[in-house]
Amino acid sequence: MSIYSSAVKRPIMTTLCFVAVTIMGLFSLSKLPIDLLPDIETNTIMVMTSYQGASAQDIEQNITRPLENTLNSVEHLKHISSNSRENISIITLEFEFGYDIDDLTNDVRDKLDMVSSYLPDGSENPIIFKFSTDMIPIMMLSAQAEESMPGLYKILDEAVANPLARVDGVGSVSISGAPKREIHIYIDPVRLEAYNLTVEGIAGLIAAENRNIPGGSFDIGSDTYSLRVQGEFDSPLQMKDIVVGSYNGRNIYLHDVARIDDSLEERAQKTVTNGNKGAMIVIQKQSGANSVEISNKILEMLPDLQKRLPSDVKLDMIVNSSENITRTIDSLVETVLYALLFVMLVVFCFLGRWRATMIICITIPISLIASFIYLAMTGTSLNIISLSSLSISIGMVVDDAIVVLENVTTHIERGSDPKQAAIHGTNEVGISVIASTLTLIAVFFPLTLVTGMTGVLFKQLGWMVTIMMIISTTCALSLTPMLCSQLLRKNIKHGKLYTIFFTPIQKGLDAIDRGYGRMLNWVVTHKVKTIVSCTVIFLASIFLLRFVGSEFFPTQDSGRMSVSLELPIGTRVEIADEVAGRIANEWAEKFPEIKVLNYTTGQASSDNTFASMQNNGSHIISMNISLHDLEDRERGIVEIADLMRESLKNYPEIKKQKVNVGGGGMGGQSSIDFEVYGYDFAETDSVAQQLKRVLNNIKGTADVIISRSDYQPEYQVDFDREKLAIYGLNLQTAATYLRNRINGSIASRYREEGEEYDIKVMYAPENRTSIADIENILIYSNTGKAVRVKDVGKVVERFSPPTIERKDRERIITVSTVVSGVPMSDVVTAAQAEIDKMEIPTGINVEISGSYEDQQEAFGDLLLLGLLIILLVYIVMAAQFESLAYPGIIMTSLPFAFTGVFLLLFLTGHNLNVMSMIGAIMLIGIVVKNGIVLIDYISLNRERGMSIRTAVVNGGESRLRPIVMTALTTILGMVPMAVSSGQGAEMWQPMGVAVIGGLTFSTLLTLFFVPAMYCLFAAVGIKRTRKQLRKINK
Amino acid sequence: MKSIFIAFDQAYYERIVDMLEKSNCRGFTAWQEVQGRGSKSGEPHYGSHAWPSMASAIITFVEDHRVDAVLDALHAMDVETPKLGLRAFVWDVERSI
Repeated sequence: MSIYSSAVKRPIMTTLCFVAVTIMGLFSLSKLPIDLLPDIETNTIMVMTSYQGASAQDIEQNITRPLENTLNSVEHLKHISSNSRENISIITLEFEFGYDIDDLTNDVRDKLDMVSSYLPDGSENPIIFKFSTDMIPIMMLSAQAEESMPGLYKILDEAVANPLARVDGVGSVSISGAPKREIHIYIDPVRLEAYNLTVEGIAGLIAAENRNIPGGSFDIGSDTYSLRVQGEFDSPLQMKDIVVGSYNGRNIYLHDVARIDDSLEERAQKTVTNGNKGAMIVIQKQSGANSVEISNKILEMLPDLQKRLPSDVKLDMIVNSSENITRTIDSLVETVLYALLFVMLVVFCFLGRWRATMIICITIPISLIASFIYLAMTGTSLNIISLSSLSISIGMVVDDAIVVLENVTTHIERGSDPKQAAIHGTNEVGISVIASTLTLIAVFFPLTLVTGMTGVLFKQLGWMVTIMMIISTTCALSLTPMLCSQLLRKNIKHGKLYTIFFTPIQKGLDAIDRGYGRMLNWVVTHKVKTIVSCTVIFLASIFLLRFVGSEFFPTQDSGRMSVSLELPIGTRVEIADEVAGRIANEWAEKFPEIKVLNYTTGQASSDNTFASMQNNGSHIISMNISLHDLEDRERGIVEIADLMRESLKNYPEIKKQKVNVGGGGMGGQSSIDFEVYGYDFAETDSVAQQLKRVLNNIKGTADVIISRSDYQPEYQVDFDREKLAIYGLNLQTAATYLRNRINGSIASRYREEGEEYDIKVMYAPENRTSIADIENILIYSNTGKAVRVKDVGKVVERFSPPTIERKDRERIITVSTVVSGVPMSDVVTAAQAEIDKMEIPTGINVEISGSYEDQQEAFGDLLLLGLLIILLVYIVMAAQFESLAYPGIIMTSLPFAFTGVFLLLFLTGHNLNVMSMIGAIMLIGIVVKNGIVLIDYISLNRERGMSIRTAVVNGGESRLRPIVMTALTTILGMVPMAVSSGQGAEMWQPMGVAVIGGLTFSTLLTLFFVPAMYCLFAAVGIKRTRKQLRKINK
Repeated sequence: MKSIFIAFDQAYYERIVDMLEKSNCRGFTAWQEVQGRGSKSGEPHYGSHAWPSMASAIITFVEDHRVDAVLDALHAMDVETPKLGLRAFVWDVERSI
């Protein structure tokens, strides 16, 4: 017994089966985490090797190159790039997407084991470090304080960071901008010299004084007592009175030679939020944890944490990445609901019966909800891709049900009992329903096979749509006939409302049918004219392609920006502070859209995980900006970014600038990297400079940056070894003396309430501000003889060579630019033309990468995929029609789909990007469906004995409605996507526009072109048969 | 005894069997799916791409006095839904075991 007859005969079983599926789906939905995009597996591994004392070039030669040569043979490696700078080599391995990072890490480790014996003796073992998207902070909080500022670090560490770190899924919580307490012993070198004391001696004494020493235990009578000396300082001021030496029989106290400064670290990051000083708390998640869940938990905790803080400390949100996710997903859900409504309206208008509409529309929620089971089973999330798949499918899942319902209705109208009609009606169309689903699966299933970044994204789309199609077909073959048998009536009596409402609609549709019939009559008599004019339209559209720009991914307005500014290398942090303050004030006035503006200056301490990974230094300013919600502002994020870049031009002190839209991750503005490969520093430098000038003149470029940093000025002390030897000194002793005085030496630790603070002995700040101060430092030999630095060496100013960057085992400089306001392809074409004009020395070559490389790769993948899909669809159709010519005729409608895509993209000003490409690929399946319906019916008419022309005209007339209806459901299903303006809409708009344009245009042209082609081919076929017959007769 | 051969659109099947039951005609032989075409009008029932519908056929042997009642009932059905197609033919049974 077939599936539909058992479904019709057992309505309870059928209903409950689908109810069960729905319940499972809803249950899965309640468990689904929300995220912006599917999990993109990490694909980057870093290998860090330190070799103390080696210069950048030594590191490159002895560490980086041997490692690169070995690591290059690791499988699935895409690019290998490296940074060789003083003391350290960092190699970054970028792998193809979609491979297990743990396996790759093991491979890398094996290779490192092989090569480690060839590395120089002094070098340390290479460290492997996996980089992942989890490192991007999910939340940044600001803590503003006034009176509590000095103790802010401790307060935040105890009352905020520790509780937050205990939240399930939180990886690390770091505090920046709140300097730690440190006790400085600021020494006056002149007095020190007068009393013959040294910094080292004082440090040693402080360490010796600040001690608790157990003295063992002893017995008194019948008891045992322990003996202890509690010498640790109770207060830093106690140190004042330590005796550090004696001079002329008089005790010298510490306060005679130094002052005690109980304050904060000298070199710390400073964070300012909306003009108020304070700290920043950065929260990163554990790998695999869900950002939205964690943020929700943290948001719940915040009021509680706030209560525990002193009244002047105020916690605020700077960045909450989950907000963007939730808003985007919400607006997409809204889009999906609108699509559902539109599709239901179309179905209702065309069918005119509410029972029929209900039977069809019930397949939508069932197929959609059932797909959630797949999401829950594979452990993925509800994200842009999975929700877009829902939106795409809404219009398509009803098609099968419509075909079944139509045929069942015909049977009922002919007089069958609904039950019999349901079984026999479904039986008749079962095969063609399955075949049309197969053509769609032939389109979407290959999407699961794409590799690379696009593959990771569209695997889910492919699976989701395939699954929804299969479920909708199952539904159409079981639930729909069952519902037809139960709900449809033999003789329908229409109410008054129906007559008022539907008579005009029916009349209109009938008129369209007749009009189309007349036009078809003209077409079949003017085949060649029709075909030629359609071909001309297609060819004209190819010219349009020139005006449609291309890009990788659309820029998303997430309301988040990050700005990184670099002043000339070595600029003092106070100046950076001042510049940052001015910019922040100006922007706060100029851009009322800014909700939070937070900036950080200064060098990060090494124990701050987040900050130390980022580029930091005294000359770097990094800003985080949150804009108000999209609905509350008029200017878009890209426009604001452009205005910010414009205003930065008024700050000549800024050397490098980067205004980053989106704050990391997908959906930012596209960037193009021009890679200059070449060994010679000077030559590549000049090419890079030239390129930068060229790029600055091209329209649409912004933030042009050369990756190689400038030569950093520094002072070096060149000791004369012979002179050192005369004084019985060696270089290390001399260098340590320098370090202890300038950087300071940590003498001991001061303990208070369970916390430890460093006690640092160093020259007072005012005594280390000139070269003379360094030259006058006294170095003591073992014999106690003192000598000044200037007597045993020279202080010279030098430039330390920059970091040596390499990519794919060649030296490289990257000149990168952000693309703003114009399509990426425009910039690339213009730049390429300029590069061709440039005189580039031999041995140097310039390549283009960045988003452009990603785009080229993705487009290449998608084009190949498109061809594969066309082939598969052809196979499915040829199998269905048992003919090689019919599928060919149907396929001729495909070019018009692409015409429509280009036309509408051009008219709406969108670019060709991965999203619109995906839309175009989906069209292959949707468009041929129209052709199948038409050709199928025409050939049926022929089999029933009609002439070619009558078959075509009659078939066209009677199939117009189903074709227009299925096209309209898909088009209207996409309209909410194309016109939505909510958060994240930029991502899916191009896809909606592409499908609408392609489908509308191709449906219109298919209705004329395909019949004309059919007439032409069928006539040829008939002539051939006649010829053969004549031969046989002879 | 007379035999009645009924050829009809599949959709009639249950109704006809029901009708025979009610007319006290117990015995019958049925072919669920047969192909055919009416002599004058009506859609062919071929189960093909062009003519997807199928017909069924029943042959039943009844006492002479029941023939008219059965044929009348069948005719009523045919008049009610002429598009489906239903024909019945009666002839004598010469001998049976």
